[in-house]
Amino acid sequence: MSVIEIETKAFVQEKFAGYYRASSSNIQPPTRMENREFAFLIFKERIMMRHKGFRNSENFRSLLKSVAPSDVYYSSAHYERPEEEMEAKGWLGADLVFDIDADHIPTPCNKQHDTWTCNKCGATGRGTPPERCPQCGEQRFEDKTWPCEVCLESAKEETIKLIDVLIRNFGVSSEEVKVAFSGHRGYHVHVESEVIQTLDQVARKEIVDYMVGVGLEPHLLGVEKGVGPNLDEAGWRGRIAKGTYDFLNTATPAQLGEIGLKKGVVNALVGQRERVLESWRDKGPWKILRGLGSEGWRKIVQKAVEKQSVKIDTVVTTDVHRLIRLTDTLHGKTGLKKTAVSLSDVERFDPMKDAVAFKEGAVRLAVSEAPEFTLGNQTFGPYKDLRVELPTAAALFLLCKGAAWVVEETVHV
Amino acid sequence: MKIDELENLEYKPILERAEARIEEAVLFKSISTKSPKDDVEIPSFPIAVMLVAATADPRIKRTYALAEAKRVSNQLKEENKEVIAKIAENFNWKLKTIENSPSTPSCDFALHFTDFVRNAATIQDKKWKLINRILLNGEVYLTKNETSRLLEEEVRRYIEKKLETEVGELPPSITARVERLKQLFFQKRGKTSWEEVPKEIVIPAYPPCIKSLYGTLSSGRHLSHIGRFTLTTFLVNIGMTVESVIDLFRALSDFNERMTRYQVEHIAGGRGSRTKYIPPRCDTLRTHGVCPGMDDMCKTVRHPLGYYRRKMRVVRSEAPAAS
Repeated sequence: MSVIEIETKAFVQEKFAGYYRASSSNIQPPTRMENREFAFLIFKERIMMRHKGFRNSENFRSLLKSVAPSDVYYSSAHYERPEEEMEAKGWLGADLVFDIDADHIPTPCNKQHDTWTCNKCGATGRGTPPERCPQCGEQRFEDKTWPCEVCLESAKEETIKLIDVLIRNFGVSSEEVKVAFSGHRGYHVHVESEVIQTLDQVARKEIVDYMVGVGLEPHLLGVEKGVGPNLDEAGWRGRIAKGTYDFLNTATPAQLGEIGLKKGVVNALVGQRERVLESWRDKGPWKILRGLGSEGWRKIVQKAVEKQSVKIDTVVTTDVHRLIRLTDTLHGKTGLKKTAVSLSDVERFDPMKDAVAFKEGAVRLAVSEAPEFTLGNQTFGPYKDLRVELPTAAALFLLCKGAAWVVEETVHV
Repeated sequence: MKIDELENLEYKPILERAEARIEEAVLFKSISTKSPKDDVEIPSFPIAVMLVAATADPRIKRTYALAEAKRVSNQLKEENKEVIAKIAENFNWKLKTIENSPSTPSCDFALHFTDFVRNAATIQDKKWKLINRILLNGEVYLTKNETSRLLEEEVRRYIEKKLETEVGELPPSITARVERLKQLFFQKRGKTSWEEVPKEIVIPAYPPCIKSLYGTLSSGRHLSHIGRFTLTTFLVNIGMTVESVIDLFRALSDFNERMTRYQVEHIAGGRGSRTKYIPPRCDTLRTHGVCPGMDDMCKTVRHPLGYYRRKMRVVRSEAPAAS
C-alpha cells in the first residue's frame, strides 16, 4: 500500500471515529442484544473481529468510539453463548431477514456507471463485466460499482413489493416489519415476530421460493387449458393475472418473440391488443386467442411470474447465522449510514439525501475517476484525474469507493 | 417400569408387541397390526422407541418413525374435523376450522404458514410448495386429508426426536433383541446407506450444475459462496483429496491458500465440528440460482450426488471394455 493510500485510510477512519464520538448515544443496539453475536470490520488490517458479545449498550457504544470500525454487524440469530465458536454458540432462533440489492436486479440504467478492468490486459469498460475481455479473452475482472438513482429506485420498488407480500400474504403486521436503507445499493427488511424465529433453513427456503417465484406450477394456480386466474384474485393467482396483463399490454413484438412465441401468435397478440385488454373485464384472455396453445401460455405465464417476483438475495434469507449491518452505523464503502425508514415513508425516502451522515466541513481531493452523482442537495462530477474541494459527505463517498485520495482538509464550510 | 424389569415374564407380551411393531416397519414400511389389549398396545410404543434408539442406526430410526407416522395419518383419515383439530392443538399448531367459501372451495382448515412450511417443506410433490398454495393473511388453506398428511410429518419428526435419545446399558437379552432387529434390517435393505457414493472421479458423470461450477472455477471466474460450497462438498464426497480441491481454487484472483485450506478441510470434516458436509439438494440449488437447468437424468433425482451415482452406472456400461 502506498503512503497516500495509508494516509487516506487514516483520514477516513478519523472521520468515522468523529461520527461515532458524536452520535454513538443515538445508536440503538438490536433487540435481545445479549444473545447476539457482534462483528466489526477493522479499518487498518481489513480483518473481521467476530464473536463479540455485549450485555449492555454502554460497553457496545464505547467500543464503537474507541475502535471506530469501518463496518458494524450483528447476527440475525440469537444464541445462548454468542461469544463461542459457531458450533458451540447454541442457536436459539433467528429473525427473518431480506436483503434487496441493486446487484440482484436488472435495472434500466444497465449499470452504465459501473466500470470493470481486465485483470490481464487492463482493458476497461462500463456496465456489468462481460464473459470474456473483448481485447484479450481473459475472464477475470476488477469491478467498481456505484449506487445510482435508477438502481436505488429499482431497489425501492422491490422493497415495496416485498412489504406488500409480507403483510398481505404472510400476515405480518406492519409494526413487525422493519425497513432500512443499507447504506450502499439497497434495502434490508427485518421481521422479528416470535412465530418465525425457530424456522430452519428448509422452511425459510419455502418463503424465499414464494418471493422469487421458484417452483411455481401454473396448473396448481388455476392456469389450465382455456382458463386462468383473474386480476382480483389473491396471492400468486392474482400476480399471474397481473403479470400477464402487464406483459401482454406492454410487450413489443420483439419482446414477445424473445420468449419464443411464433410469429403468427405475436401478430395476433399485437393486432388484438384492445380485445385482450377488454377480456380482463370478463374471464381474461386465456381462451380468446386462436393459435396460442398451452406451450405459448406457459411461456407468457413464466414471463408474468418473472415480472411479479420479488428480487431478493436468496442466500441472505435462508442463512440462519447471517451477520447484518446495524442501523445508524456507517457503511465502509460509502460513508453513508444505514438508515431506518418507517413504512409510511418508504415511497418518499431519498437515500442519497436522508442517509448522509456528515453534514459539515469540506475536503480537498484528487479524484481518479467518478461518474456524476447526487448527494444531499448537490450534484457532483463526473470527474476524471481532477483536484476538487468537496463537502465532507461527498468527499468521503469517493474516498470510501477508492476513487480519490486526500489532498488536505479545509476548515471553512 | 424400570429397564431391568423388562426381562420379567409379565412384561413379555409388551416387549414382543414392541418388537413386532419394529419388524413390520422394517419389512413393510408400515404398521398395520394392533394388539387387542390396550395395556399391551399403549406401553409397547415407548418400548419400541427405546429398542430403535438402541440400534443407534439413523436409517432404522428413519424407517421406524416414518412407519409409525403413516399409521397415525391413516387413522386420522377416518376421523372427523374436531379430532384432527384436537391433535393439531397438541402440537401447538395454529389451526382454524373454516366453512367452505367460494374463494377457498372444499377447504376445511386454515393453518398458519409457519406450521405449514415446517411440515410441508420436506414433502416432494409440487402441490406442497408454499408458492402453489393459497396464502392469505399468514394462513394456508387445506382440506382435511391434507391436514392429516401434514400431521403425519409432525408425528414423524416428533418420533425421530424421541429416537435421538441415547440409550444406556441394556440387559443382555434386550441387547440380543436389538441386534436381531438390526440384522433383520440389514438383510432387508443392505448395509450401505444411500448417501454412499462411488469414490471415483469420473467427470462425464458430473451433473450439469457441477459441470457448470467446475467450468466457471477452472476459468478463474467468480463463484458465489453457495456455488463454492456446492462444488467443494460434491468433490470431497466423490473422493477428491483436499489438496486437489484447493488446487482448483488457485485459478481465482482472490485465492488465499490459508483461508481456502481452512474451509475445504472444514467441509471435508477434518476440522472443528468434524461434520462431513454434503452438497445442497437440487431444489435448494434452484432457489439460489445455481441450477443451470435440468437434463433428463436430473428429472429422476433430487440430489447432485444421487445424479452422480446413477450416471456412473450409465457411464460405466458405456465404457469400452479394457483389453
